[in-house]
Amino acid sequence: MRVNPDPYPDLLNDVSHNQQQIATDEQEIASGQSVNLPSDNPAAAALLAQNASQTSQADQFERSVGNIQGEMQSADSTLNSVTSALQQAISLGVEGATGTVNSADRAALATQVQGIQSQLLSLANLSYQGNYVFGGTATQTVPYVLDSNSPSGVTYQGNSGVNTVTLGSQFSLQTNLPGSQLFSASGSSVFQSIQDLITGLQSGNGIGAAVTEVGTASNYLDEQKVFYGNSLNQLSAQQTYLSTETVQLSQQQNTEGAADLTNVISNLTTAQTSLQATLEAIGQTANTNLFQYLK
Amino acid sequence: MSSLNASLASALSGLIADQGALAATTNNVANVNTPGYSRQEPVLSASEPVVIGSLSFGTGVTLQSIQSITDPILESQVQQQTQAQGQYTALASALQQTETNFTASSNDIGTEISNFFDSLNQLSTDPSDLSVRQGVLTAAGNLASSFNATSASLSQQQTSLDQTVVQQVGQINQLTGQIAQLNAQVSNLQNVGESAGTFVDQRQQAIDQLSAIVDVSVIPTDNTLTLTTANGAALVSGDQSFQLQTQLNSAGLHQVYSQGNNITGSITSGQLGGTIDARDQQIPAIQTQLDTLAAGVANSVNTVQQGGFDLNGDAGTDLFNPPPASGVGAAATLSVAITNPSLVAASSDGTSGSNGNAEAMYALASQPVIAGQNPSDYYSGIVFNVGNATANAQAEQTASNLVLQQLTDQVSSVSGVSLDEEAAHMVQYQDAYSASAQVITTINDMMYAAIQMSTLTG
Repeated sequence: MRVNPDPYPDLLNDVSHNQQQIATDEQEIASGQSVNLPSDNPAAAALLAQNASQTSQADQFERSVGNIQGEMQSADSTLNSVTSALQQAISLGVEGATGTVNSADRAALATQVQGIQSQLLSLANLSYQGNYVFGGTATQTVPYVLDSNSPSGVTYQGNSGVNTVTLGSQFSLQTNLPGSQLFSASGSSVFQSIQDLITGLQSGNGIGAAVTEVGTASNYLDEQKVFYGNSLNQLSAQQTYLSTETVQLSQQQNTEGAADLTNVISNLTTAQTSLQATLEAIGQTANTNLFQYLK
Repeated sequence: MSSLNASLASALSGLIADQGALAATTNNVANVNTPGYSRQEPVLSASEPVVIGSLSFGTGVTLQSIQSITDPILESQVQQQTQAQGQYTALASALQQTETNFTASSNDIGTEISNFFDSLNQLSTDPSDLSVRQGVLTAAGNLASSFNATSASLSQQQTSLDQTVVQQVGQINQLTGQIAQLNAQVSNLQNVGESAGTFVDQRQQAIDQLSAIVDVSVIPTDNTLTLTTANGAALVSGDQSFQLQTQLNSAGLHQVYSQGNNITGSITSGQLGGTIDARDQQIPAIQTQLDTLAAGVANSVNTVQQGGFDLNGDAGTDLFNPPPASGVGAAATLSVAITNPSLVAASSDGTSGSNGNAEAMYALASQPVIAGQNPSDYYSGIVFNVGNATANAQAEQTASNLVLQQLTDQVSSVSGVSLDEEAAHMVQYQDAYSASAQVITTINDMMYAAIQMSTLTG
């Protein structure tokens, strides 16, 4: 059988094939990525695009958790201050209720409780990064203002709205309790009880009832406060979950997209050896044909 | 009874035939590197014998012709494979350019989609903050720019492919002109019984080049070839070539016409086929997916935005300028409708601190708002489609390269010039020539002896 007398096109093809392989391998090594273009592995490229989106989402969730944590911690510690202010009011009330206290002393006690009232007012008007925390969704309006016409001594200007924020693909969290639920709930209103205590101390009547009322409001507030405690626990659990998810996503990214260096380097070596062999073959071919032997 | 003169003539025919044969060898050696050249062999045959009485005497050798050694079936296979290779090379190189738009980067569409929805999640945590609201508008603007840039890049590529179509039609016309001319030269020579090997080779070479550009059918007719596209549009008939024309269609893309008929859609192979496929099918398909994605995101965000309230408590208005109702051009023209960050409708109850509507907008990120998929999944689907189309075209290209290489090897093993072979032939013809010359010398001696003999008797 007659063989192809011109091996050069084949050899040159081999050379270019080897060079291409070397270039691909070198790019993989340089970038550390096996998927540099969608066509390198279409399914992996699509997965990596989804992975990037999920990673970006998880990162954002972590930032959002951080934002909300700040606000909730601030709300939680403010409510603690409210509770201790109420405890102080109770002791003042108890002191005022004893028979040994004269009217001037009661007036002084009433003034002290008024001080607590304005302290409570300022606590209930807590603002975090420019937003009122206890005004429901009316975050730009001062929630409570003093109002002598109101039986509780204050008027609530906020609303009963609550916000819920998505903080995970399967997790969302209510982020606030409105002041109307915390400080001016019917039957256990903080402001009403304090106003009643002030009135009682000033008049000398119904101090004991007012003290009980403050106690009820304080207990009620403690129950409500559980919301913030729970939420903060959930937030830190979610934070842990999100870090785990981020790690998993980055592992998936590595599995799908990272270059298998051992493999690539071995391929590269093979291609280089093969290229060298082909080039040597070309060098050899050049010197052999019958014309050289006819003298 | 044979004569010395007859032997002399016989020996002389040997000299002439060997010279001719050597000329063929010389020509082969000279053309060892000529692309498309087929080696030539002398066709020698014994001359008609002379019958005298009961004896039959040979009268030497005749060099009947110089024949090109070719295999027409292999050559037609090479043509077909050249068409496939041209097609997939053009397609792969177009798609390789396309896919760079979909490689992961800091501003590819997928990243900008994530950034946009992330900004809405951020807004959800602090709905009344103006800088966070501005962040949403900035992210929306970046998303729109990314759609615009990607779409523009695809359109630009389509335009440059369109230019390629025009150039390739020009090349086809040039080659069919050449082939028609060579047809005439071949048939002129063959009509007077001469070998047209060189012109046939050149014609074959031109047909191979043509095959790389367009799907050609070759129909051999008496001493000539008729060429049509695979779909039957005439390209060459005898010494006449039929020029293809290009004409713009309503979309501003060049269509290929053959004798008044638009044959654009029927060109499926060769570089022109691949170019047209990329220009008219592949790239528009990607554009359509981008339009679907852009329109889907814009419309769903607008709908939610209209259901909410801005920072002033007013009903929300479109965040993105509404994309065309047909969706066509949505990616190219996507833009943000509002510049005032307070107009982002984050609130669901009209109060500035409500995040209900920002949540609803954020929820779109995981809702099947685009052809049953969420925006990010739909985008990753586009990445897969583009990558897959490119990888397929590359695989087809590699495969057709391999097959073509094998076929070319086979053609070369039939028609290629082997210097070893030619050296051997040279020695062979040289020896035969020397032998014939020696015979003539001997006859000369015998003639001399005969003449001497007549002098003696005379």
